Amino acid sequence: MREFVYDVFTRKERGDRLQHVGYVDAFDDETAKVYAWTTYSEEKWFEMCVVKRVNVLPVNRTDGLYVDAQESAHD
Amino acid sequence: MSHLTDEELMRKVQGGYMVEGPEDMTEGYRKALRVQLTVQADTELMSAPSYWMAARYAPSTNTQVSAHAIIQDELAHANIAYRLLEDIGESKEHLVYGRQPHEFKHPYGFDQPLDNWAELVVATGFFDRAGITLLSDVHENTSYAPLKRALVKIGMEETFHLRHGEVWMRRLAKAGGEARELVQRAVDWMFPMTIEWFGLPDHMKRHSGQLDFKLKGLTNDQLRQVWMASTVPLCEELGLDAPAHWDKDKSEYVLDYPFPCQYDAVEKHWAFDEGEISWDAVFERWKKRGPMNEIYVESVQRSRLDVQHWLAA
Repeated sequence: MREFVYDVFTRKERGDRLQHVGYVDAFDDETAKVYAWTTYSEEKWFEMCVVKRVNVLPVNRTDGLYVDAQESAHD
Repeated sequence: MSHLTDEELMRKVQGGYMVEGPEDMTEGYRKALRVQLTVQADTELMSAPSYWMAARYAPSTNTQVSAHAIIQDELAHANIAYRLLEDIGESKEHLVYGRQPHEFKHPYGFDQPLDNWAELVVATGFFDRAGITLLSDVHENTSYAPLKRALVKIGMEETFHLRHGEVWMRRLAKAGGEARELVQRAVDWMFPMTIEWFGLPDHMKRHSGQLDFKLKGLTNDQLRQVWMASTVPLCEELGLDAPAHWDKDKSEYVLDYPFPCQYDAVEKHWAFDEGEISWDAVFERWKKRGPMNEIYVESVQRSRLDVQHWLAA
């Protein structure tokens, strides 16, 4: 069962910033949405989004988790 | 890995430097963080079957919902902590599904059965208070930025668990009669259980690096005092006997029983009358684990292989 990392972003109220609150492991986009919604249930979010980590492109760093995700995607 | 030495990184984090990932760590830092996160993750994970098996004693559908909401939170906290461990090179799969029951690092308190609703609410009142005490200190002081961010959510939810436990302790204690006796009996075994949870006293503490690397801010004895500063007044307010009191001269809470002492897990009884025992004897008891250890771990691990097998077929 291969899982992927999905980063979770939420906006608490209309007008707030969309903030990174954490991440989940999931098999696909649909399960990622469910896992994110049930895992980060501490607020009644106005908005929640998930982004597959390999789709986050690092701009200025050459190390760190997002660079590692890029590298592992191209293994 | 960082090119710094452990001592150089210790100086940097004491000066306010925040570590963002493995690229900023020394091997010493990574090891100390791994130990801390493993205890945190295992504790959250093993609280779930403990509370889940006790949730059947919930007296209404509302309390069923609130008990299961707590369990859902605990599992989410565990999942987040295991993800943080993956980020530093550990395998969540191995940690959750590949270890034997005795290899988990949660405290002895979560190897015990919770046998009625009073025990479940005192557990959320006492054990979750211990969790908040430990994790608030980490949140305030940690040099590991991903953990600091993750603890915002965890702190909010643990506060709800604690409130749920304390509200119900108050309600049962006020009811008197059997309800009150059951709460008192739960306090009798869970108070010393939580005191022991904070670990070795400072004068015996082996050097772990967690303070030097600023993974926490307070010592074991200080954390025990913080816990007692909330818990002893709560028990006094509810007219419950707690085996500790405020000592004016020492300006701290003092235990009214020999610490540490031996515990009979079958009878749920602390042998105060047998006197103080060595910490080696405590470690030996912890190492043997408690009566529910295998049952709780099995409840988390079961059906993993079955489902993997179905999916692979």
